[in-house]
Amino acid sequence: MNSNQSFITVGKSPLRADARDKVRGKGIYIDDMRLPGMLYGKVLRSQYAHARILMIDTSEAERLPGIIGIVTGEELPFIHGESFPDEPLLARGKVRYMGEGVAAVAAVDEETAEKALGLIKVEYEELPALFDPVAAAAPGAVRIHEEMESYKGKPLVRPVKGTNILNHVQFERGDVNQGFAQADHIFEDTFTTPAQQHCSIEPHGSICLIDKDDNISLWTNNDSPYRCRIEIADALHIPMTKVRIISAPYTGGNFGGKGGLKAEACAIALAWKIRNVPIKVLYTREEEFCSSIIRHPSVIKIKTGVKNGGTILAREVTTYWATGAYAEKGPTVSRFGGISSAGPYNIPNVKINGYLVYTNTPVAGAMRGYSGPQTSWAYESQMDIIAAKLGLDPLELRLRHVYQDGDIHTATGQIIHAEGLKKCLEEVAVRMEWQGKTLGPNQGRGIACMERAVKTPFGSAAFVKVNEDGTVDILSSTTEVGQGSETILRQIVAEELGVPLNAVRKATPDTAYTPYDASTTSSRSTFHMGNAVKIAAADARQQILQLAGKLLSTDPVNLTLADGKVLDKENPVKVMPIAAVLGQSYGSSGTVLGRGYYFPEMPEGQETYFSSQVVFWLLGAHGIEVEVNRRTGEVKILKVYAAHDAGKAIHPDNVKGQILGGISMGLGYAAYENYEFKEGNVLNPSFLSYKLPTAVDMPGVVPVIVEQEHQDGPYGAKGVGETTNVPLPPALANAIYNAVGIRIKSLPITPDKVLAAMQERGEGESQ
Amino acid sequence: MERITLNVNGQSHQLNIKVNETLLDVLREQLGLFGTKKGCDSGACGACTVIIDGEPALSCMILAVRCQGREILTIEGLAPEGELHPLQESAIEHGAVQCGFCTPGWLMSAKALLDENPAPSRREVQAAIAGNLCRCTGYKQIEDAILAVAKK
Ligand code: FES
Ligand code: FES
Repeated sequence: MNSNQSFITVGKSPLRADARDKVRGKGIYIDDMRLPGMLYGKVLRSQYAHARILMIDTSEAERLPGIIGIVTGEELPFIHGESFPDEPLLARGKVRYMGEGVAAVAAVDEETAEKALGLIKVEYEELPALFDPVAAAAPGAVRIHEEMESYKGKPLVRPVKGTNILNHVQFERGDVNQGFAQADHIFEDTFTTPAQQHCSIEPHGSICLIDKDDNISLWTNNDSPYRCRIEIADALHIPMTKVRIISAPYTGGNFGGKGGLKAEACAIALAWKIRNVPIKVLYTREEEFCSSIIRHPSVIKIKTGVKNGGTILAREVTTYWATGAYAEKGPTVSRFGGISSAGPYNIPNVKINGYLVYTNTPVAGAMRGYSGPQTSWAYESQMDIIAAKLGLDPLELRLRHVYQDGDIHTATGQIIHAEGLKKCLEEVAVRMEWQGKTLGPNQGRGIACMERAVKTPFGSAAFVKVNEDGTVDILSSTTEVGQGSETILRQIVAEELGVPLNAVRKATPDTAYTPYDASTTSSRSTFHMGNAVKIAAADARQQILQLAGKLLSTDPVNLTLADGKVLDKENPVKVMPIAAVLGQSYGSSGTVLGRGYYFPEMPEGQETYFSSQVVFWLLGAHGIEVEVNRRTGEVKILKVYAAHDAGKAIHPDNVKGQILGGISMGLGYAAYENYEFKEGNVLNPSFLSYKLPTAVDMPGVVPVIVEQEHQDGPYGAKGVGETTNVPLPPALANAIYNAVGIRIKSLPITPDKVLAAMQERGEGESQ
Repeated sequence: MERITLNVNGQSHQLNIKVNETLLDVLREQLGLFGTKKGCDSGACGACTVIIDGEPALSCMILAVRCQGREILTIEGLAPEGELHPLQESAIEHGAVQCGFCTPGWLMSAKALLDENPAPSRREVQAAIAGNLCRCTGYKQIEDAILAVAKK
């Protein structure tokens, strides 16, 4: 394919232009934006996990000087949601989790708004609450959404009437019962995963202005302006052209957390009532933990039938996803999870049941990995349980079963291509000297891999505008949240147009000007938007050549672009800088505006887990070496080896950055981040008590980029950043098992748990 | 309201502030120095790190009234306008910047470290930025960026 082609900037690692702003403190984020007359909003939040709202009295708060207005849910008869709208802007009738917004206040400054919250009186009648997804899924459980049957979800969402299950993902391929009957060994295990918070260092924030004709302008750090626009328009029953979403120039971290309506909903609630004045809502860190979004806690039961020699015949997986009080992205998370619950393996008989269950806990939704961290925790832990029992090499067992090009994916039924997972495993094995290296006492090593589907099929559009001076603007609605898309899109356009990278800029998304994009999520941007800008650049290139042909009196087919110039392939003296071509054409013979749209045309999906097949898979493998302290249960990570398949790394340093960052997030999930809940109450909503890995906690990491080129990717590229955290937790658990023979089945892996398991065997220090 | 003189990036400012206002809020709201970021407002993320009298300090944890007569350095004062400090250059070169929200904070911690200890070990660098949370990078490239300047 492209591998032998030589590129000007693709595959190099040019310096990021945004970094120059950011290191000088000149990067503008939502909290740095000020609009004339802007008010500040704050939200009063529920102290109950599940309660009826009997009365809200705002009269005293309204009298406070500096208060401009107060709004409650009763005044806002709207519900929103991406695929299963069920969430009010502010609670109406009842609250469904502790931390849910009940009323919002707009004031001249934050301090006054905060003060007013304390003067609002709310009376509740407490209701029985549900925190555990298995209990909440049981027939006869208290209903969290009594009106669920009336919600109008998308067709792929399948609620179970009369229960708290809002999506049941279900399929069977082959015949698992027969597979189990033919197996020599049956393995049955239950794994659990906790909540996790994105902990973007920048909190959620939005500024909303609504005029008397319902025209909405929303400045926000939302990751996906077009998705945000439609969700708002649908919720408010207004035409979407009345809604304009303007991205903040930079967003301080996302990881899936900034995709729904969070601060957006609060700002809109206030601005709907208080017209013609911009109102800003910025979440506090506590709100980030209690009232924004979390990773789905899960309970995963996995049963596998294996032949004596290690051939896996059948696997049945039942997963309970605690989606919290509202659907958010839960339906899609559970669907992606369903596709990959059995792992990236050729297994002839598979049965999947996934139950997405309402619970009285903070709303769960999209978070880096998007079901991958849960599913891989179960299937990759069990792979090692199987290997240990049958005396097989865990790497060997995986290599025998992993999908390779030409295999049929069990869940989607598609023929697999561009599958670099085997290479990822092999690369990790080589680096960690899987064969041959001897480890010290109490040391062990583990390996784990994963797959996850990219969101398919969704489109991306772009314009490439070439200015009179030869500089280029990319108009695209991909948001720059830290992942580096801005640089990658600029590289692609520079490559196609033969102009220097610093001549290309990327515009900040604004639904009034930048064209449609489904979302900046799912590691889809390099592939989808990359293709769109590549097509747009090719279009712009043709237009430049046409204009140059006129000026040089040459047939455009003889012309080409390089180094910012138009060259005549046959007559080397005919050279004209692009700037000169455009300078002479603008205002007379024409302008240059390239247009590109990319939509993966995929065959229909098997049944309806996706409406089409998956255009590419996110793939990676991690290996870990540890040393376990048998007395204290402490686990020291000696080294992490991480290989991820990027298709083609357009910016290798950036891919490495994504791998290193993913490792720290995976490590947090595996061993540090202990979200503590008591009856729906978050006990540690602060960085002081919810511990993120810091610089001193990070182990040495060996990042490896695997490049299994994709026929439809720009230059062969796929996405990579979303799942670089995923295989770490099971690799860690497998390494601990390898070191000391204990198996941890619930995350996070804390010294307490390790110690308790050691003590069960009569080892470890007793406390 | 209290009238104070605040010395920031070599310039002195006469300001009317509330006694309970943090240095962070005064820098951002009154002086328009938005480079110092608010990530938690409770002393736990390091995004608001500035240098006061040569020492790194969390500006969300210090009342502005306490800063009267002290030398405050923020990210905007790290290099003269139009130039980059070697740490800033190095951060760009080493890919140490992703979302950038933590960046001004750790740059200030690093500057304080190198002023004090021009040749730190990796361990010392890690310790110096342990209070600066970064959710994007995994820290390795940040450490490399700082160490590269130390070596020069
Ligand atoms: S904002 Fe000051 S430490 Fe987080
Ligand atoms: S670069 Fe995003 S938090 Fe550090």
